[in-house]
Formats: sequence, C-alpha cells, structure tokens
Amino acid sequence: MKLPGIGPKTAARLAFHTLNMSEQDVAAFAAALLDVKRKLHECPVCCNITDRTPCSVCADTGRDGRVLCVVQDPKDVLAMERTHEYNGRYHVLHGAISPMEGVGPNDIRIRELLQRVADSEIEEVILATNPTVEGEATAMYIARLLKPFPIQVTRIARGVPVGGDLEYADEVTLAKALEGRRQV
Amino acid sequence: MHIEWLELTQYRNYTHQRIEFSSGVNVFIGENAQGKTNALEAVYLLAMGRAHRTSRDADCIQWGADGARVSAQVVTAGRPRTLAVELHRGAKRAEVNGVLQAKMTDFVGHFQVVLFAPEDLQLVKGAPAARRRFIDMEIGQTQPKYLYHLAQYQRALQQRNALLKQDRVDNTYLEVLEAQMADHGAEVVVRRHGFLTRLHTIAQRIHEEISDGRERFTFQYRSPLEGLGEAEPISVAEVREALLQALAVRRAADLQTGHTSVGPHRDDLLFFIDGQPVQSFASQGQQRTIALSLRLAEMDLIRDEVGEYPVLLLDDVLSELDNTRQQRLVWSMSEKVQTILTTTALFPIQGNLRLAARLFQVRSGIIQKEG
Repeated sequence: MKLPGIGPKTAARLAFHTLNMSEQDVAAFAAALLDVKRKLHECPVCCNITDRTPCSVCADTGRDGRVLCVVQDPKDVLAMERTHEYNGRYHVLHGAISPMEGVGPNDIRIRELLQRVADSEIEEVILATNPTVEGEATAMYIARLLKPFPIQVTRIARGVPVGGDLEYADEVTLAKALEGRRQV
Repeated sequence: MHIEWLELTQYRNYTHQRIEFSSGVNVFIGENAQGKTNALEAVYLLAMGRAHRTSRDADCIQWGADGARVSAQVVTAGRPRTLAVELHRGAKRAEVNGVLQAKMTDFVGHFQVVLFAPEDLQLVKGAPAARRRFIDMEIGQTQPKYLYHLAQYQRALQQRNALLKQDRVDNTYLEVLEAQMADHGAEVVVRRHGFLTRLHTIAQRIHEEISDGRERFTFQYRSPLEGLGEAEPISVAEVREALLQALAVRRAADLQTGHTSVGPHRDDLLFFIDGQPVQSFASQGQQRTIALSLRLAEMDLIRDEVGEYPVLLLDDVLSELDNTRQQRLVWSMSEKVQTILTTTALFPIQGNLRLAARLFQVRSGIIQKEG
C-alpha cells in the first residue's frame, strides 16, 4: 500500500513508532482508519465529506441559508472555515470539468447544485473554484447554468496577498488586482 | 548587459566547468562535437528557461547523472545577479540570487540573449511552428504576461480539442471554453501584432543595409482571423470578438475533425522579397539574409524594451556569412555588445577583433582559456 507523500524512510519511521505505541492507542488508530472508510460519506445536501447526515455545517441553524459558496474540494471548505468570516453554506463539486482527464459536467456535483438552488431560498451563489483554466471554465459553466434563476452569482476576487509587498507580486497577479480594483 | 561567469555541473558533456567571460567578444574554438554549442546552449537556458536544441530537459543532463546545474552571474542595468537552473529527470527548478522561483515564467526575463544559429534557416523555410516559436520566445523574453496568456490559451485549446473528440458534446461547456480561448487568445494576438509591427520596421532597415538597397524585404503577420494583420491598430476587445465568432463559425467543422481549426495557434509569418513570396522562390543566400536581419532586429527591439542590448550568441555561423556586408554587420554589432561565438577556425574573424577577443579552447568537455 502506498500513501501520498510517504517515502520508504518515513514509512519505516511510522512503523517503528507504531511498534512503541500502547496497544490501546494502536486499536483506536486502527478503528479510526476503518471509520474513514465505513462512516464517512458525502453529505446529501452539500456533498462535503462527513460522518453525519446532514453534515454539521448543513445542520447548523445559525448559518445563513441565503448564501452558498461553491468550492472544488472538501479541503477548500476547511480553508474557507479558517477565515471565520463566512457564515453561509457550502457546495462541494469534487473536482473541476476537464475533458482532457475525462471529467465532464456529470462527473462532478453540478446537478446536485442546480437542484439545491431550485429547491431552497438561496439568493447568492459565490463561485470559489481555483483560478486555473479548469477552475475558471467550471465557474463560467455553472454561471451560465444558473442564469435562469433569479439569484446573484459572484466570483471570488483575485489579487495581491495580504501582508505582501506590491514589489514582490508577480505581474499577472498585479494585473488581475488592477482589473478588480474598487472605489474607496 | 553581460555575463561575468558561467558554471556548468553535469551539463551535457561537462562534468564541472567554470568560465570567466570578457565583456567584449568571447570565442569558443574547437573541433566538432567537443561541446562548443553545449556551452552556448547553457547561456541560452539561463535566459529562456529552456534549451534551444531540445524540448526535453533530460537531454541536457550528463549521461549517467541524476541532474544538471547551470549557474551564472549576469549584470543587468549595472547590477549583478546570479541565475541558476537545475534540471532533474522530470523536474526543473530555477533560482534568482539564490531564491527559488515558483514558476519558470517568473524566472524568464531576468536576462536576455539573441542566438543566431545554422538552424535559423528554419525560420524562413521551415514549418509555421518554427516562426510561432520565434515570436513566442522573443515576446516572452520581455513580457512575462505574454507567456501566461499563451499558456492559458493553449490549455483551453487542449481542453476544447479533447471535448471535440467526445461522443456527446456539451454545447454550453464548449462555449465556455471558446470564451476562455478568446479572452487569452486576444491578448496573445494583440501582443504579437505589436511586436511584429516594430520588428518589421527594424528588420527592413537592416535587410536594406545587407542587400545594399537592391532588395525590398517585407513580411506579413498571417492570422487565420480574417482581415487581421492588415488593419491596424487592433484592440483586445475587437480581437476577442473576432475570435469568438470565428470559433463559433468553425464549430460544426471542428466537431467533424476533432480539432480546432482557427485561432492564434495557427498564426504564421509570410516573408516577401520585392513582393514575391520567399518560401517558394528565394535562394539559400537570400533566406540566410532574412534570418540574419530578423535576429539583428531583435537585438534592437530588446534594447528598446529593456534599455540595453542583450548578449549576442553566434553558433557556428561565421563560415555561413558569405558576403562581406553580412560579416561587417555582425562585427559592428559585436563591438557594441557582449558576444559569445563558436567556431572551428579563427580565420573568419577580422584582425583587430581577433586581438580583442578572449579565446577559449574546447576539447572533449573541457574549456581552457588561451593566453
């Protein structure tokens, strides 16, 4: 079995470490690993990975159900949550459309997204896919499908990182930041 | 702009080599297949982020070695900078002053070169791809944003081609990809157009000098977007609109063939002498004059863009410069800029230049300074 990012040396270190752990800890570790496979599934509402139905974010009544943030991966939800700035709900696509890799619109959770927008009180959809060719195309594609709905569709801004020095920003990022400038 | 020293480690046939250059003319002299061009190629790699003779970085790694490293100190705008490129099988990293660059496009543009090599005849008589490569490399050297748009365009193009080959094509998604291609493609076309307009003026003047005013050299930017290339100036918005329409018009045909038949990936340059198309009638000598005119014009263009002349690399072209006017032009340029050239014999170099030049003997992967 191979795990990403773990080479032969790290594997050996982990194996010896496990050897020194208490039996109780090893059992808990093994059970947790099994749970990953047995208990984790996609939330039927937002498609994020969860051990509950619906997931904790979808079950949280304190969240604003009018705003929906669309991301590519479950990892992106964690990133958004770390900001502590966003109080809306999420939709996880599980990838971006890429014909080169054989990923079509039906292979990611776009149908579920449309159903959700049609069924609920969503007023704004924020498209937060990655700023790659595939991420942009996926965002544009979803924006077109959402056109018939009476909602606002927005795309996250791109620009200069906070705490960064303008001098060190690359030309492309700086040009994008200039394009997305705002009145103060 | 000049290069002070160059260090090669496990690069091609060099195990370890350090070369200290003069800021004038530098000559690598040696028999064939001793490694003269390899050293020149390494300088090119530091400017462009890739070698000129191969598209596979692994080719540049010494046989049996895991990786190669090329580093140099260059002086641009009076300031020294160290540049380094490391090639590993399947990976490449680049440093500026010891700082790792996240992307190769961040690395390209710190130092400029113009290379004139025997393969340059391909510029004139080769396939359109050779001319597009010439354009892309030159604009990319001074405008990093161009390379970004080009890469995005090509990625969207590949996605569209992959989509066209599928059994059932989602039309909305096809339109999205076309919009992306139009966005980035327009930036590419407008920059190419601007570059070629400036290149045209300078290359024409140089060609007139070489041919002593007997021939009139012109070229035309041929973009499959109809009408483009003649009308100027052009705006990004106009080109984007034209590209969008052209892609939509060709959609049905493209679905049949499974590839994209229109866009800047099919651009070309057409050369004319006295109004006659060069590709079909010109002699070897005329073709070489055109290639040389383009290269020397690049020197001036880059100077206009970055404020000083790039380093001139001449790979084994001395014997090919068959008329004295061509030679005089090259020598008058070498007097103004740092020049690194390779040759098998010293005799084509004129007396006073030969005296001022720094000579290096190249013998089976070892370079030794003479005198």
